[in-house]
Amino acid sequence: MAIPTLDTFQVIGDPSRRKMLLLLSEDSLTINSLADNFDMSRPAVSKHVKILETAGFISIQDMGRERYCTLKKDGFEELQAWLNYFDQFWTSKLKKLETLLNNKLPN
Amino acid sequence: MAKIIKHQYFFAHPIETVWEYLTNSELMGQWLMKNNFEPVLGHEFQFRTGGKANLNFDGIFYCKVLDIEPLKTLSYSWNCGPGEGQITLKSVVTWQLESKDNGTEVTLDHRGFDKAENLDMYHGLMHGWLEKFTNIDKLLQAGAHGHTNS
Repeated sequence: MAIPTLDTFQVIGDPSRRKMLLLLSEDSLTINSLADNFDMSRPAVSKHVKILETAGFISIQDMGRERYCTLKKDGFEELQAWLNYFDQFWTSKLKKLETLLNNKLPN
Repeated sequence: MAKIIKHQYFFAHPIETVWEYLTNSELMGQWLMKNNFEPVLGHEFQFRTGGKANLNFDGIFYCKVLDIEPLKTLSYSWNCGPGEGQITLKSVVTWQLESKDNGTEVTLDHRGFDKAENLDMYHGLMHGWLEKFTNIDKLLQAGAHGHTNS
């Protein structure tokens, strides 16, 4: 199954994936025990897990015959990156506006 | 961690002048970004800037005037995405003006990033992380002091 590359907001835009992250915020889980919480096929669960892994929200570790999913911070930091980006963006634009107003020739 | 961006700024200029700079397309272009804004409720317009590849952004903000009250308030949606009409980030920008002695106080509020629930979850999870780190710290401390759980 091809795994689409999604950006951060598309990744957590999906309610099932959000639920997975919430479950994993309680504890690390195997893909099987994660799947027990959902009314979907194992391949469907695996696909969501893969998408979360690709976007840096979780890491998957093989332990014996089980695959454990654990939360990872990277995905969440990208969300914060947008906020930080705009915060600085507005600061610089407002300064620019002030300079412009102050240099305005009186008319 | 804030999920609302707020800036308060004082301009030593009359409210009419500041309003003009916030709502005249050509003047906005001089300090903000090139645009086709019109001060009309429901008007759809765009701001155009350079793309930011690392933020999945094609360099265009897709906006719509949501609220406008001359010399007082202006609000527009502020959406963007990686291109081809895909919108992955939705937010709202609101300007409020107030006349003060010798000038104008401007409040800018930028919020509603995508779905608030996403960020709520994010904050919840970050809080969860902190808790986890605290727990690890406690365990380590306990280990260091040779405590046992009895």
